[in-house]
Amino acid sequence: MSTESLFKELQNSSLSQSIGQLDSITGAFAQLFHIAGFLLILTAVLLVNLRLIGLGLNKQTIPNLAKATKPLVIYGLVLLLFSGLFTFLPSATLYYPNPAFWLKIYLFVFALIIQFTLYRKVTSVEAPNRILAGLTAVLSITLWFGVAFAGRAIGFLN
Amino acid sequence: MSVVSLLQQMHDSEFGTALRESLYMFPLIEGIHLIGLALSVGLIIVTDLRLIGGFLKEVPVADVLKQLRPWLLAGFVITFVTGILLLWAEGPRMWAIPVFPIKLVLIVLAGLNAIWFEYKYGRTVHDWGAHVHFPKGAKLAGWVSLVSWSAVVVCGRLIPYLEATQH
Repeated sequence: MSTESLFKELQNSSLSQSIGQLDSITGAFAQLFHIAGFLLILTAVLLVNLRLIGLGLNKQTIPNLAKATKPLVIYGLVLLLFSGLFTFLPSATLYYPNPAFWLKIYLFVFALIIQFTLYRKVTSVEAPNRILAGLTAVLSITLWFGVAFAGRAIGFLN
Repeated sequence: MSVVSLLQQMHDSEFGTALRESLYMFPLIEGIHLIGLALSVGLIIVTDLRLIGGFLKEVPVADVLKQLRPWLLAGFVITFVTGILLLWAEGPRMWAIPVFPIKLVLIVLAGLNAIWFEYKYGRTVHDWGAHVHFPKGAKLAGWVSLVSWSAVVVCGRLIPYLEATQH
Protein backbone atom coordinates (compact mmCIF):
# COMPACT_ATOMS: atom_id res chain seq x y z
CA MET A 1 0.00 0.00 0.00
CA SER A 2 1.38 3.42 -0.89
CA THR A 3 1.70 6.11 1.74
CA GLU A 4 -0.94 8.19 -0.01
CA SER A 5 -3.52 5.41 0.09
CA LEU A 6 -2.59 4.70 3.71
CA PHE A 7 -3.37 8.34 4.50
CA LYS A 8 -6.70 7.97 2.68
CA GLU A 9 -7.50 4.84 4.69
CA LEU A 10 -6.60 6.65 7.91
CA GLN A 11 -8.82 9.58 7.06
CA ASN A 12 -11.72 7.28 6.17
CA SER A 13 -11.45 5.17 9.33
CA SER A 14 -14.39 5.34 11.70
CA LEU A 15 -12.23 6.96 14.42
CA SER A 16 -11.16 9.77 12.07
CA GLN A 17 -14.73 10.24 10.89
CA SER A 18 -16.01 10.58 14.45
CA ILE A 19 -13.25 13.08 15.31
CA GLY A 20 -14.08 15.03 12.15
CA GLN A 21 -17.70 15.37 13.23
CA LEU A 22 -16.83 17.03 16.55
CA ASP A 23 -17.40 20.78 16.78
CA SER A 24 -14.72 23.41 16.26
CA ILE A 25 -14.31 24.06 20.02
CA THR A 26 -12.85 20.56 20.35
CA GLY A 27 -10.48 21.39 17.50
CA ALA A 28 -9.42 24.58 19.28
CA PHE A 29 -8.72 22.60 22.46
CA ALA A 30 -6.59 20.15 20.49
CA GLN A 31 -4.53 23.11 19.22
CA LEU A 32 -4.14 24.45 22.74
CA PHE A 33 -2.99 21.07 24.08
CA HIS A 34 -0.59 20.84 21.16
CA ILE A 35 1.07 24.15 22.01
CA ALA A 36 1.11 23.26 25.73
CA GLY A 37 2.89 20.00 24.94
CA PHE A 38 5.32 21.81 22.68
CA LEU A 39 6.11 24.39 25.39
CA LEU A 40 6.67 21.67 28.01
CA ILE A 41 9.14 19.76 25.85
CA LEU A 42 10.99 22.78 24.51
CA THR A 43 11.36 24.35 27.94
CA ALA A 44 12.57 21.11 29.55
CA VAL A 45 15.04 20.41 26.76
CA LEU A 46 16.21 24.03 26.78
CA LEU A 47 16.89 23.98 30.54
CA VAL A 48 19.03 20.85 30.28
CA ASN A 49 20.79 21.87 27.07
CA LEU A 50 21.73 25.27 28.47
CA ARG A 51 23.24 23.41 31.41
CA LEU A 52 25.14 21.12 29.03
CA ILE A 53 26.86 24.10 27.44
CA GLY A 54 27.52 25.59 30.87
CA LEU A 55 25.13 28.53 30.56
CA GLY A 56 22.11 27.55 32.61
CA LEU A 57 21.47 26.34 36.13
CA ASN A 58 25.16 25.62 36.66
CA LYS A 59 24.99 24.75 40.36
CA GLN A 60 22.83 21.77 39.53
CA THR A 61 24.36 18.50 38.38
CA ILE A 62 23.39 17.49 34.84
CA PRO A 63 21.76 14.16 35.91
CA ASN A 64 19.67 15.98 38.57
CA LEU A 65 18.38 18.50 36.10
CA ALA A 66 17.68 15.82 33.49
CA LYS A 67 15.76 13.83 36.10
CA ALA A 68 13.72 16.83 37.27
CA THR A 69 12.74 17.78 33.72
CA LYS A 70 12.00 14.24 32.53
CA PRO A 71 8.31 14.32 33.56
CA LEU A 72 7.86 17.54 31.56
CA VAL A 73 9.25 15.79 28.47
CA ILE A 74 7.01 12.75 28.96
CA TYR A 75 3.83 14.76 29.65
CA GLY A 76 4.72 17.05 26.76
CA LEU A 77 5.15 14.11 24.40
CA VAL A 78 1.84 12.54 25.43
CA LEU A 79 0.03 15.87 24.90
CA LEU A 80 1.77 16.42 21.55
CA LEU A 81 1.02 12.94 20.23
CA PHE A 82 -2.65 12.84 21.20
CA SER A 83 -3.48 16.38 20.11
CA GLY A 84 -1.37 15.92 16.97
CA LEU A 85 -3.17 12.71 15.95
CA PHE A 86 -6.50 14.33 16.78
CA THR A 87 -5.75 17.15 14.34
CA PHE A 88 -4.08 14.97 11.71
CA LEU A 89 -6.46 11.99 11.40
CA PRO A 90 -9.61 13.70 10.04
CA SER A 91 -7.55 15.63 7.45
CA ALA A 92 -4.72 13.19 6.67
CA THR A 93 -4.96 13.67 2.89
CA LEU A 94 -4.65 17.43 3.35
CA TYR A 95 -1.30 16.93 5.08
CA TYR A 96 0.05 14.40 2.60
CA PRO A 97 1.15 16.88 -0.10
CA ASN A 98 2.45 19.45 2.44
CA PRO A 99 6.30 19.49 2.49
CA ALA A 100 6.36 21.23 5.91
CA PHE A 101 4.35 18.33 7.38
CA TRP A 102 6.93 15.81 6.17
CA LEU A 103 9.81 17.97 7.37
CA LYS A 104 8.14 18.12 10.77
CA ILE A 105 7.70 14.34 10.90
CA TYR A 106 11.32 13.63 9.90
CA LEU A 107 12.67 16.18 12.38
CA PHE A 108 10.38 14.82 15.11
CA VAL A 109 11.53 11.23 14.58
CA PHE A 110 15.17 12.34 14.52
CA ALA A 111 14.66 14.47 17.66
CA LEU A 112 13.09 11.48 19.45
CA ILE A 113 15.98 9.20 18.47
CA ILE A 114 18.52 11.73 19.78
CA GLN A 115 16.41 12.30 22.92
CA PHE A 116 16.40 8.63 23.89
CA THR A 117 19.97 7.79 22.84
CA LEU A 118 22.64 10.51 22.78
CA TYR A 119 20.83 13.03 25.03
CA ARG A 120 19.92 10.34 27.56
CA LYS A 121 23.52 9.03 27.63
CA VAL A 122 25.20 12.46 27.92
CA THR A 123 22.82 13.68 30.64
CA SER A 124 23.30 10.55 32.75
CA VAL A 125 26.83 11.50 33.84
CA GLU A 126 27.92 14.43 35.99
CA ALA A 127 30.82 15.50 33.82
CA PRO A 128 30.30 14.42 30.21
CA ASN A 129 32.93 15.10 27.56
CA ARG A 130 32.60 18.85 26.90
CA ILE A 131 32.65 18.61 23.13
CA LEU A 132 30.10 15.79 23.11
CA ALA A 133 27.89 17.71 25.57
CA GLY A 134 28.07 20.84 23.39
CA LEU A 135 27.28 18.92 20.22
CA THR A 136 24.36 17.14 21.87
CA ALA A 137 22.94 20.44 23.12
CA VAL A 138 23.18 22.13 19.72
CA LEU A 139 21.72 19.10 17.92
CA SER A 140 18.88 18.66 20.41
CA ILE A 141 17.91 22.36 20.43
CA THR A 142 18.11 22.62 16.64
CA LEU A 143 15.94 19.53 16.14
CA TRP A 144 13.22 20.40 18.66
CA PHE A 145 13.03 24.05 17.57
CA GLY A 146 13.02 22.80 13.98
CA VAL A 147 10.01 20.58 14.73
CA ALA A 148 8.10 23.60 16.08
CA PHE A 149 9.16 25.81 13.19
CA ALA A 150 8.16 23.24 10.57
CA GLY A 151 4.89 22.75 12.46
CA ARG A 152 4.07 26.44 12.16
CA ALA A 153 4.99 26.34 8.47
CA ILE A 154 2.32 23.66 7.81
CA GLY A 155 -0.40 26.28 8.21
CA PHE A 156 1.29 28.62 5.73
CA LEU A 157 1.59 25.96 3.04
CA ASN A 158 -1.85 24.40 3.42
CA MET B 1 -5.22 59.16 17.45
CA SER B 2 -7.23 56.00 18.05
CA VAL B 3 -5.66 52.57 18.22
CA VAL B 4 -7.43 51.52 15.03
CA SER B 5 -6.16 54.48 12.99
CA LEU B 6 -2.62 54.00 14.33
CA LEU B 7 -2.73 50.32 13.36
CA GLN B 8 -4.16 51.27 9.97
CA GLN B 9 -1.31 53.74 9.40
CA MET B 10 1.26 51.11 10.34
CA HIS B 11 -0.51 48.62 8.08
CA ASP B 12 -0.52 51.04 5.13
CA SER B 13 3.09 52.13 5.59
CA GLU B 14 5.73 50.93 3.16
CA PHE B 15 7.34 48.80 5.85
CA GLY B 16 4.04 47.20 6.92
CA THR B 17 3.11 46.40 3.34
CA ALA B 18 6.55 44.94 2.56
CA LEU B 19 6.38 42.72 5.65
CA ARG B 20 2.89 41.48 4.86
CA GLU B 21 3.60 40.77 1.24
CA SER B 22 6.97 39.12 1.77
CA LEU B 23 6.84 35.43 0.96
CA TYR B 24 9.39 34.40 3.56
CA MET B 25 9.71 37.23 6.10
CA PHE B 26 6.21 37.04 7.53
CA PRO B 27 6.18 33.24 8.15
CA LEU B 28 9.77 33.48 9.43
CA ILE B 29 8.86 36.21 11.93
CA GLU B 30 5.81 34.24 13.06
CA GLY B 31 7.94 31.12 13.49
CA ILE B 32 10.48 33.04 15.58
CA HIS B 33 7.62 34.56 17.61
CA LEU B 34 6.43 31.01 18.35
CA ILE B 35 9.74 29.37 19.27
CA GLY B 36 10.79 32.47 21.25
CA LEU B 37 8.00 31.38 23.63
CA ALA B 38 10.14 28.49 24.86
CA LEU B 39 12.70 31.01 26.13
CA SER B 40 10.33 33.69 27.40
CA VAL B 41 7.13 32.06 28.64
CA GLY B 42 8.68 28.58 29.03
CA LEU B 43 11.45 29.74 31.33
CA ILE B 44 9.22 32.16 33.25
CA ILE B 45 6.89 29.22 33.96
CA VAL B 46 9.90 27.35 35.35
CA THR B 47 10.57 30.23 37.77
CA ASP B 48 6.84 30.47 38.63
CA LEU B 49 6.70 26.76 39.42
CA ARG B 50 9.79 27.14 41.61
CA LEU B 51 8.12 30.01 43.50
CA ILE B 52 4.92 28.03 43.96
CA GLY B 53 7.01 25.11 45.16
CA GLY B 54 6.29 22.46 42.58
CA PHE B 55 9.52 22.20 40.60
CA LEU B 56 13.31 22.12 41.15
CA LYS B 57 12.78 22.28 44.91
CA GLU B 58 16.43 21.49 45.64
CA VAL B 59 17.67 24.54 43.68
CA PRO B 60 17.76 27.81 45.69
CA VAL B 61 15.10 30.15 44.31
CA ALA B 62 17.69 32.96 44.03
CA ASP B 63 19.76 30.77 41.69
CA VAL B 64 16.78 29.97 39.49
CA LEU B 65 15.85 33.66 39.22
CA LYS B 66 19.40 34.88 38.64
CA GLN B 67 20.69 32.20 36.28
CA LEU B 68 17.64 32.08 34.05
CA ARG B 69 17.13 35.84 33.94
CA PRO B 70 19.40 36.65 30.93
CA TRP B 71 17.78 33.87 28.85
CA LEU B 72 14.33 34.88 29.92
CA LEU B 73 14.91 38.53 29.09
CA ALA B 74 16.46 37.61 25.73
CA GLY B 75 13.38 35.47 25.07
CA PHE B 76 11.05 38.35 25.88
CA VAL B 77 13.00 40.72 23.62
CA ILE B 78 12.65 38.19 20.76
CA THR B 79 8.94 37.61 21.44
CA PHE B 80 8.12 41.33 21.78
CA VAL B 81 10.09 42.50 18.75
CA THR B 82 8.61 39.79 16.50
CA GLY B 83 5.16 40.47 17.98
CA ILE B 84 5.40 44.18 17.16
CA LEU B 85 6.54 43.33 13.61
CA LEU B 86 3.54 41.03 13.17
CA LEU B 87 1.26 43.76 14.48
CA TRP B 88 2.85 46.25 12.09
CA ALA B 89 1.96 44.04 9.15
CA GLU B 90 -1.45 42.77 10.25
CA GLY B 91 -2.62 45.24 12.95
CA PRO B 92 -6.18 46.03 11.83
CA ARG B 93 -6.98 42.34 11.22
CA MET B 94 -5.53 41.36 14.62
CA TRP B 95 -7.47 44.08 16.41
CA ALA B 96 -10.72 42.79 14.92
CA ILE B 97 -10.23 39.39 16.58
CA PRO B 98 -11.72 39.64 20.10
CA VAL B 99 -9.01 37.62 21.84
CA PHE B 100 -6.25 39.99 20.68
CA PRO B 101 -7.13 42.94 22.98
CA ILE B 102 -7.59 40.37 25.80
CA LYS B 103 -4.09 39.08 25.08
CA LEU B 104 -2.68 42.62 25.35
CA VAL B 105 -4.44 43.24 28.68
CA LEU B 106 -3.06 39.96 30.03
CA ILE B 107 0.48 40.90 28.93
CA VAL B 108 0.17 44.23 30.78
CA LEU B 109 -1.14 42.39 33.86
CA ALA B 110 1.73 39.89 33.74
CA GLY B 111 4.23 42.72 33.26
CA LEU B 112 2.88 44.72 36.22
CA ASN B 113 2.97 41.57 38.34
CA ALA B 114 6.65 41.03 37.42
CA ILE B 115 7.51 44.64 38.28
CA TRP B 116 5.68 44.36 41.59
CA PHE B 117 7.50 41.10 42.40
CA GLU B 118 10.91 42.62 41.57
CA TYR B 119 10.19 45.71 43.66
CA LYS B 120 8.79 43.87 46.66
CA TYR B 121 10.76 40.62 46.72
CA GLY B 122 13.51 40.74 44.09
CA ARG B 123 16.19 42.40 46.22
CA THR B 124 15.57 40.32 49.33
CA VAL B 125 15.34 36.93 47.63
CA HIS B 126 18.51 35.72 49.37
CA ASP B 127 16.79 36.20 52.77
CA TRP B 128 13.32 34.77 52.20
CA GLY B 129 14.51 32.26 49.60
CA ALA B 130 16.50 30.44 52.29
CA HIS B 131 13.34 29.60 54.26
CA VAL B 132 11.21 26.54 53.64
CA HIS B 133 8.04 28.63 53.31
CA PHE B 134 8.16 31.60 50.98
CA PRO B 135 6.20 34.82 51.68
CA LYS B 136 2.59 34.56 50.57
CA GLY B 137 3.01 37.57 48.26
CA ALA B 138 5.92 35.92 46.42
CA LYS B 139 3.92 32.74 45.91
CA LEU B 140 0.92 34.76 44.77
CA ALA B 141 3.12 36.56 42.23
CA GLY B 142 4.18 33.11 40.97
CA TRP B 143 0.56 32.05 40.54
CA VAL B 144 -0.48 35.30 38.85
CA SER B 145 2.46 35.01 36.47
CA LEU B 146 1.76 31.34 35.70
CA VAL B 147 -1.94 31.89 35.03
CA SER B 148 -1.57 35.14 33.08
CA TRP B 149 1.27 33.94 30.83
CA SER B 150 -0.55 30.67 30.15
CA ALA B 151 -3.64 32.67 29.22
CA VAL B 152 -1.49 34.88 26.94
CA VAL B 153 -0.33 31.75 25.08
CA VAL B 154 -3.91 30.44 24.85
CA CYS B 155 -5.13 33.77 23.41
CA GLY B 156 -2.12 33.90 21.09
CA ARG B 157 -2.83 30.43 19.69
CA LEU B 158 -6.49 31.27 19.24
CA ILE B 159 -5.67 34.28 17.03
CA PRO B 160 -4.74 32.30 13.88
CA TYR B 161 -7.38 29.70 14.76
CA LEU B 162 -10.21 32.24 14.96
CA GLU B 163 -8.83 34.05 11.93
CA ALA B 164 -8.97 30.83 9.90
CA THR B 165 -12.50 29.97 11.02
CA GLN B 166 -13.78 33.52 10.41
CA HIS B 167 -12.76 33.61 6.76
